[in-house]
Amino acid sequence: MSFLHKDNFHRDAFLGLIVWLVLIVFYHIFPDPGIHDIIQKVFILGLFAMSLNILIGYLGLIAFGHAAFFASGAYTLGLFLQSDYVLSLGGLSIPIAMILAVLISSILAALIGVICIRLNDIYFSFLTLAFQMLIYSIILALVSITGGDQGLMGGFPKPPFLGIDLGRPFDFYAFTIFISVITIVLLRQIIESPFGYGLRMIRDNSERPAALGFNSQKHKLIAFIIAGSIAGLAGSLQALLDVGAYPEWAFWSKSAEPLFMILLGGMQSFLGPLMGALIFELLNDFVTANTRYYGLVLGLVILCFVLGLKKGLLDWILFKFNRK
Amino acid sequence: MLKIDKLSKSFGGILATDNVSLELKPNSINAVIGPNGAGKTTLFNLITGKISIDAGSISIDDTDITNLKESEITHLGIARAFQITNIFPTLTVKEAIKVALLAKQHGLNNMWNRFKTHSINHEAEDIAELAGLKSSFNIISSELSHGDQKLLDIALALALKPKVLLLDEPTAGMGPEERWKMIEKIQKLWKKTKMTVLFIEHDMDIVFDIAQNIYVLQQGGIIAQGTPKEIKSNKKVIKAYLGGGKK
Amino acid sequence: MEIFALFDCIISPACLISQAAGGLKIGMLLFLVASGLTLVFGVLGVINFAHGALYMLGAYFSWQLMSITGHFGLSVILGALGVGIFGILFERILISRVYNAELLVQILLCYSVILILDDLVMIIWGDEFLSGLGVPELFQVPPLFIFDAIIPPFHLAIVAMSFIVGIILWFIMTKTRFGRLARAAAVNPNMLEALGVNINLLRAGVFMLGSFLAGLGGALAASVGSVVSGMGNSIIIESFIVTVIGGMGSISGAFLASLIIGMARSFGAVAMPLFTDGLMFMIMVLVLILRPEGLMGKKK
Repeated sequence: MSFLHKDNFHRDAFLGLIVWLVLIVFYHIFPDPGIHDIIQKVFILGLFAMSLNILIGYLGLIAFGHAAFFASGAYTLGLFLQSDYVLSLGGLSIPIAMILAVLISSILAALIGVICIRLNDIYFSFLTLAFQMLIYSIILALVSITGGDQGLMGGFPKPPFLGIDLGRPFDFYAFTIFISVITIVLLRQIIESPFGYGLRMIRDNSERPAALGFNSQKHKLIAFIIAGSIAGLAGSLQALLDVGAYPEWAFWSKSAEPLFMILLGGMQSFLGPLMGALIFELLNDFVTANTRYYGLVLGLVILCFVLGLKKGLLDWILFKFNRK
Repeated sequence: MLKIDKLSKSFGGILATDNVSLELKPNSINAVIGPNGAGKTTLFNLITGKISIDAGSISIDDTDITNLKESEITHLGIARAFQITNIFPTLTVKEAIKVALLAKQHGLNNMWNRFKTHSINHEAEDIAELAGLKSSFNIISSELSHGDQKLLDIALALALKPKVLLLDEPTAGMGPEERWKMIEKIQKLWKKTKMTVLFIEHDMDIVFDIAQNIYVLQQGGIIAQGTPKEIKSNKKVIKAYLGGGKK
Repeated sequence: MEIFALFDCIISPACLISQAAGGLKIGMLLFLVASGLTLVFGVLGVINFAHGALYMLGAYFSWQLMSITGHFGLSVILGALGVGIFGILFERILISRVYNAELLVQILLCYSVILILDDLVMIIWGDEFLSGLGVPELFQVPPLFIFDAIIPPFHLAIVAMSFIVGIILWFIMTKTRFGRLARAAAVNPNMLEALGVNINLLRAGVFMLGSFLAGLGGALAASVGSVVSGMGNSIIIESFIVTVIGGMGSISGAFLASLIIGMARSFGAVAMPLFTDGLMFMIMVLVLILRPEGLMGKKK
């Protein structure tokens, strides 16, 4: 078990497995479906937020239009599973649907990224937002395909695969967390690899990399594609959860959600956005149970973090921990 | 080693670099001096490809680099340290040097290994030692002293294993004692690596003590060049630059 | 895409004129709001993402005043002034803390204010749509007929009002001391402070002006539409588009861009009814790619 002491991929994979097993056990100890629901949502939104943090926290690129990829993943999965073709694939449907969702999102990210990356700072941010809203408009306009403002209607089948039936709550829970954990472990490897430090280098200094013979633009594009792909994966999971896809997921306010999570949990720690997703979901749950004025409470909380703490919660905890 | 032939550059009608020609011999240590605004940093920018050349040519070891991009030029053996420290604030000295080393080796595309345990750690230590930063190896760059930050700036350039090292005012912002310490480190570095060094400096004592060759720049053009002895007695230089008192 | 519908419209004077008039009205109202946004960015360097919420407040304030006083003009002006005063408080208490912070922090601050205000108006005024102020008596006259196009005079009044406000704004920014100080502050605030100018007062003043414009836009919009929580959330995006296309900080750019967007919306609704918004975003994408500093903006 010596590998546990070293910060490497094997250790992360092992820890991920442990977390997954613990949560499986947790499911049986606490059978309340409300709690399971929160945990699933936290992972899905956490993936979304962590994917955005690749850009914001590690690359220093403030992308405002990230939900475009979340939505593309969701709609791709939904549309694929609604197609007649699916019935013939039987047990391969959902795996293929998810792979397609990630693939389409990564292609979209490549196209949008190649254009946006040429701009800097605020113009980059606005252009990503413009593209997202363009996609939103397209989703609304192609009513016959996407269902327009009603969203993907009619639901879609979730054929069992590899013995997993996503219609059963436990299967869905275990599957979602499994996929999420694998993705997080892989993401950590990317972030802690030389590639990841290349990101930090660009974030810290936009000028020097060229003086070191380094092609920043290519690096940024690859990061953008990775971020978009993971967001697409999160979107596909959300679509499976809701058995549908909605245009709101492509509206600019959906891009604000992962930003909040990054703020709440912290952008300087790897799992910060996941912690932020947890805070966000708990807040959501608690507030909507007690009052209808969710926006008011969320707004006040964000205000406190922005003006007061100035760091995300996990960042703050780690900061205090390192001080000692 | 580095040959510059009739280099010129204008910005909106103002001639920033005026017909500059110079040749740096291998293993030499040279200085560029001149009043503020003489075009010293512009010259460096032209050499490293940061800005485009209007006329003239530059070659290193007979390879013409006149029209190459900044990143291409660094791979051909020219590295540069900046006047205002241009480093990576959140990275430690170790991480910064490693990143620079990996950039040079095209190793930053790697997603399979872990950066922290990368085999390049040893090389990074060597560079840090060369630059006199061994004791600050694990300190975060933004927390280094000004002098150490300047050393890091140089260390990043050293990571490129350059044949020609350009130092833009390496002692800027330092008091007299610190300046000498810094320049001694640079001299040691030069002797150890046998690079060709060209540095911009304002402190005349330092320049006359260390440099083998001095180029005097004024209003974009070279008004004199030679050994310290020759420059000290050069009437043009005395009138234009030295006569006004030391900076 | 209904290209034939568009073609038919353009060759028919009635349609052409009524769509153009509609476009003018949309554009000018948008200019009113967007000018405030671009002014605040130009002078203070802050992107007030909550600008749409201020627009919403203008609608609510003037609605409330209308139900008390019954006087249209008074309600609109006082409503807008109320938003201006709110703007001063907003700037002094919150915005001033993030002047030097990153864009992300500014955006998050503004977005939290949007969330808070969207709910606050529901708490105070309920969550039902409030019916608009209604056309003021003065303009409850038969519509004008220009080449068979039906033009409500009130719409023309709105266009005229926005245009006049634009001229006044131009005058303030170029001919008054305040305007000149504001423009100087955009370039070099430290120098101004060193010269003894009260920068804080100046900033509050500029923000007040920007908020007033947003509030005025909201109040006028309330006269022809309904008042509801969240009504600022689409106008903010349009104002953004206008600001980006026109050039951030440029009021004349905002004017030009507003007209373009207004016409695009109006004629776009004929040519591609389902994709009208999409057209606007496409224009924004094109401008950002081809000329990121905007039509009248300065290259960085």
